[in-house]
Amino acid sequence: MRVQDHKIFKIVVKDAWSYTTGAILLAVLNIALFALSKIPWGVTTPFSYWGAWIGKTFGIHVEKWYYFAGPHKSALNMSFFTHQGSIMNLGIIVGALLAALAASQFKIKKIKSVSQVIAAISGGLLMGYGARIAFGCNIGALFSGLASSSLHGWIYMVFMFVGAWIGSKLLVKYFM
Amino acid sequence: MAEYRLDCMGEACPVPLIKTQKKMADMKVGDVVVVEIDHSCAMKNVPEWARKEGHNVDIEETSEGEWEIYIEKTK
Amino acid sequence: MSVQASVSSETAVKRSPKKKKNQLPIAIGLLIVVIVLAVIFSQISKGLAIAWIFGIGFGVVLQKSRFCFTAAFRDPVLTGGTSLSKAVLLTLAIALVGFGVIQYIAVQAGKGVPGGVNPAGWHVAIGALMFGIGAVISGGCASGTLMRVGEGFMMQWLSLFFFVIGSLWGARDFGWWNKLLISSSPKAHLPSVMGWSLAFALQLAVLGGLYLLADWWGKRKTR
Repeated sequence: MRVQDHKIFKIVVKDAWSYTTGAILLAVLNIALFALSKIPWGVTTPFSYWGAWIGKTFGIHVEKWYYFAGPHKSALNMSFFTHQGSIMNLGIIVGALLAALAASQFKIKKIKSVSQVIAAISGGLLMGYGARIAFGCNIGALFSGLASSSLHGWIYMVFMFVGAWIGSKLLVKYFM
Repeated sequence: MAEYRLDCMGEACPVPLIKTQKKMADMKVGDVVVVEIDHSCAMKNVPEWARKEGHNVDIEETSEGEWEIYIEKTK
Repeated sequence: MSVQASVSSETAVKRSPKKKKNQLPIAIGLLIVVIVLAVIFSQISKGLAIAWIFGIGFGVVLQKSRFCFTAAFRDPVLTGGTSLSKAVLLTLAIALVGFGVIQYIAVQAGKGVPGGVNPAGWHVAIGALMFGIGAVISGGCASGTLMRVGEGFMMQWLSLFFFVIGSLWGARDFGWWNKLLISSSPKAHLPSVMGWSLAFALQLAVLGGLYLLADWWGKRKTR
């Protein structure tokens, strides 16, 4: 019997898991990460560092900005492969790739239309900017922030919902 | 019993579901729509919605990362 | 394949399965690379190996369960579905309790409150609003974008690139926002403000209430 025909392979590797399973595992992983490293899960702060490292090579003086002169000063001395947050983000990408390949469900999906290009560019810019001023994204500010019993996490949840509502209207009107 | 094919390849979330909902609204009872997708979210959320509405649903993986969802309108 | 309610006209419907390639060998090869990298990272620092392993773990769980925070916020309005909304509320509630235990132990040991407690003010509202719009129109939030980069969606490769640019732009303007709002906004750790019992009872009650609301909303038939 091929390994792919085995029942356990089918349930664990081939089939999709339930949302409930995902919810429980994500929470357990975040709790474990917090317990082990003292810092909960976050995704977007490393993005600002990647931007800084790229910007520096183009001659942008990021070290003069408040963000990199103060709270994120240490970032300018780091590099991608020794920065924990960057490696964790790379791990998420590779983990998703691994899971898709193991189920033989990996496929490159090309961009289909100009509206997808505009949506990706404007959406990416909005998320990047918004996450900086709100101290995080759906993971760092919402998931980890709310789990930390921080008021800002709750504010994030409410206003991300409002933003999603606005985004839905825009999506249907301009991007479908 | 008309059969329709809905090509949703390359569409971003949640376009396959929205297109399916719109198509189903125009279909008669007994008609079937075959939704072609390559989005891992859609292979879950389209059948889930269709079953919730009470229709007959079947899904088949046709290639790596590609699925066909067969929905028969029952009401 | 559903068991109870199959499409009745099976022979009439044209099915087009192509010859499927087996990607498992590639996956196994990649897994070996992942393990080798974990060992290499652990030689540099324990924290780096932990980051790599947890990243892989998050990526696998997100992809396998098709977990999507964006859909949790978008679907109730756009498609009428709330199954992901409920899943997000569940993951928040479990994490809240787990984090609470960790924080409580730290505080009892005389240390400060660990975790992601940040200034609460209008900058959060504005930023979260921008984030919500961006996540829905681009088809993925922060974790969702990374997951889809790994799944091969070129649209998310593009979105990630501009996500990084937007982050740098936000970092540039951060000083301005700090002067305007952030520096005058307090950090509010709810248990420190209102006591542990009340803070947790309240937060869990709100999450529970939202769960019931989502459950009821999701059961309403759309079309």
